[in-house]
Amino acid sequence: MSAAVATPVDGPVANDEPVLAATDVTVRFGGLTALDRVSIEVPPGTIVGLVGPNGAGKTTLFGVLSGLVRPDTGEVLLGGQRVTRATPAARARLGLARTFQQLELFLGLTVRQHVVLGVRVRTERRRLWSDLLTAGALHPESEAERSRVDHLLDLLGLTDVAHAPAATLPLGTARRVEVARALATSPRVVLLDEPSSGLDAGETARISDAFRTVVDEEGVSLLLVEHDVAMVLGLSSRVSVLDFGVRIAEGTPDEIRTDPAVRAAYLGDDGDTPGALQ
Amino acid sequence: MVQYIVVGLVFGSIYALAASGLVVTYVSTGVLNFAFGAMAFFIARTYYALHTEHHWGIVPAAVVCLLVLAPALGLALYLTIFRYLRLASQLIKVVVTVGLSVVIPTVATMIYGNTQLFVIPGLAPVPVDTFDVFGVAVTLDQVIAYASVIVIVVAGALVLRFTEAGLSVRAMVDSEAMTSLSGSNPARIAAGVWIVSTMLAGLAGILAAPVIGLDAGKFTLLVAGAFAAVIAARLRNLTVAVVVALLLGVVGSLVQWALPPSSPVTANVIPAIPFVFVVVSLVVNILRSGRVDEEQGVGGALDRAITPNGGVRLAASTDVDTWFPRLDVGFPILVFAGIAVLPLVFSTYWQGILATGVALAIVFLSYTLVTGEGGMLWLCQITFAGVGALTTAQLATQHGWPVLAAVLVGGLVAAALGTLIGLLTIRLGNLYVALVTLTFGLLMERLVFALKPFAQSGAGLPVARPDFAVSDQAFVYLALGVFAILAVLMVNLRRSTTGLALDAVRWSETGARTMGISVVQMKLLVSGLAAFVAGVGGGLFALSHKQAVPVEYATLAGLVWLAILVTFGVRSNIAALLAGCVFALSPAFVQSTLKLNSTWAQVPVLLFGLGAIAVAKNPEGTVHQQARAFQRGLHHLLHRSGAPTGSGQ
Repeated sequence: MSAAVATPVDGPVANDEPVLAATDVTVRFGGLTALDRVSIEVPPGTIVGLVGPNGAGKTTLFGVLSGLVRPDTGEVLLGGQRVTRATPAARARLGLARTFQQLELFLGLTVRQHVVLGVRVRTERRRLWSDLLTAGALHPESEAERSRVDHLLDLLGLTDVAHAPAATLPLGTARRVEVARALATSPRVVLLDEPSSGLDAGETARISDAFRTVVDEEGVSLLLVEHDVAMVLGLSSRVSVLDFGVRIAEGTPDEIRTDPAVRAAYLGDDGDTPGALQ
Repeated sequence: MVQYIVVGLVFGSIYALAASGLVVTYVSTGVLNFAFGAMAFFIARTYYALHTEHHWGIVPAAVVCLLVLAPALGLALYLTIFRYLRLASQLIKVVVTVGLSVVIPTVATMIYGNTQLFVIPGLAPVPVDTFDVFGVAVTLDQVIAYASVIVIVVAGALVLRFTEAGLSVRAMVDSEAMTSLSGSNPARIAAGVWIVSTMLAGLAGILAAPVIGLDAGKFTLLVAGAFAAVIAARLRNLTVAVVVALLLGVVGSLVQWALPPSSPVTANVIPAIPFVFVVVSLVVNILRSGRVDEEQGVGGALDRAITPNGGVRLAASTDVDTWFPRLDVGFPILVFAGIAVLPLVFSTYWQGILATGVALAIVFLSYTLVTGEGGMLWLCQITFAGVGALTTAQLATQHGWPVLAAVLVGGLVAAALGTLIGLLTIRLGNLYVALVTLTFGLLMERLVFALKPFAQSGAGLPVARPDFAVSDQAFVYLALGVFAILAVLMVNLRRSTTGLALDAVRWSETGARTMGISVVQMKLLVSGLAAFVAGVGGGLFALSHKQAVPVEYATLAGLVWLAILVTFGVRSNIAALLAGCVFALSPAFVQSTLKLNSTWAQVPVLLFGLGAIAVAKNPEGTVHQQARAFQRGLHHLLHRSGAPTGSGQ
């Protein structure tokens, strides 16, 4: 966290070592090459976008980064440390968090409990076991924990539903709970898998604001996979484009907008600029 | 040796029929039918009644049983029970069929009585014709068994491959949602599959009866053997299931041929064969794909979208009404106090039974832990109770340990074993865990519990209560004290960080893992703790009888225990206490207070089985559900003029 000084979202990319990097990652499923020597870097305190048509390999790359998919070749570095073979839980402890397109909430827990668990996993890991012997149920919540949890709930606009069970939440709110849970573990980088999927325009705008705020206030980096190209180009400082498992472009949103290869991938030919890229 | 293969193939054929029935219903309706043996037993018992007791001819009796009774039973069970399981979690499906496996034999006993039957004819006329095939004697019964399997396999393959009905079934295996969208009626297909599967059960049952005897327990054991073939087939591959089933029969028979007939080794090795098959096929599958999960590669996106998240509705507790917690504290204390008063008003006879009930309640707490908190369906908690009981008796009686220290060590031994099983099953899906723990229980029961130092020729070892709790009254209070300590520890667990993390793992392993929680550690923790509780409970259960009798910890009895606990509610400590006491007291109440005959003594068991089946509709447990409804009603009365309560969440 010390290196993660808050950087303006649209400001220049910091020169520091990237918090998360994948180099020359190849993944094959049988005869299909899902990813072909793809590299990506996420510098500290920035939002990096990852876009591509359906079947481009975005989800596979996310799986490789979070440890759910083993690459055939290539390396994954988290905070400069090689984690290619580390489990998802080990990566989480090193500061990687993620959200899911198909939500993976703990439906029986309340919104607040999600965040409390995230904070404790990070700051008081021992309590996962020691609570059994020390009557942990009777421990009052520490002041630090309470303020951290309340701050995160406030940041994502979840204070009103703090005590509602996750099962009862509408999709837009549930997506923000996933983000809050991810941030609660004080990560260096958060992988966001299609966070606007299923949301209406208003909810998308709201969650975009929340992302900008967390980068500014928390100093984390975000890697954003999205179908909504307009949202990615609006939020990110760098964008990578995948097509058929190959990275076809990388650059600032403006560079991506005008890149002929990107326009070809989205249109199937090099005709007019598609609406999403305008 | 050839003679042994001939006999082995008969067993193999029966296994194959059972395995086909199990696989067909699993792939097309998602239910692995733990009641298959019970259904087979019921039809076979009816055949015996018609053919032998009422002197019907073989053909009319077989036609009525296989072509009228079996389809009717299958259809009735589909309409009343299985239909509601379509979107239920695996946990609920297993519990419901376990409940059914308790109900059906009980009903059979109530209809046909409980007399021991010795000579049971099959489908061949008695005396059974014997043929000489290349110098080997083959009976007509054996020929019928082989022919049945061949006919079933060929007909099944033809129907599945070349008919429209077969196409619909195969489509439903891949995606029920898409099948229904393309114009087939999944309900009609499912009903058809249940009818066919029940007919297979009937056929397997009638063929098996002359070989294994008409005993419901033996039928369930036979089907537990067939589970090995089903696991080898990864629950779905009919051909593999049939081949492995035949192999299982032949291997069993050949082992019998190879080993000296009267040696104790033989008696111990034979029951272990299905377990070896289970272990080998799981290891092979894990090495091949890293994980064995019944959900792998099943259903399309649409099916997943309409299936409840994680499927663990049994563990659902989303009540947010702030008024309930206060009652939740008050109600258990009230029940506990009520039970604590009973020894003061009960006669010695009833005190003794209550002592057993409270000890049993402690064992039930282990189900509350492993299934209620951990979301894992273990069918061998009774085995851990047995381990606790036998360890206690060994240490206290044979080695002179103080008895409570022996109980504690018994719990620790069970915990070690539980952690080991947890480790072995960590990569398995819920259904496989249920199957493996069931097989483990059966194996322990026959390999370890049957050993001379434990069994003492069936009577078991005596074990003395501690000096301060010799009387039944004092012992009830000792057991209640232990229960209270464990219950308080469990409340602490539930409300602590550990409980949060366990909840997280139960709802979404992926979510928990990616936030840095070790799913393995959490599952091992709950496995070990639950086995410890079961072990301690088992030790006290033995103390309540002053005797550690291994047969009291039979795995199949554990299914009844699970059924009753689920009836009362698997998420609540006080439900475990009530379940234990009611289970112990009710048969005695029916027999000694109501003075009803032994048929009526079956009624409580029947009700518990039905209660387990009812979780198909009330996942929280029937009694828990009623208590909630009562609380809500009370709340409504008290707050009639107040604001809406929000209890409709």
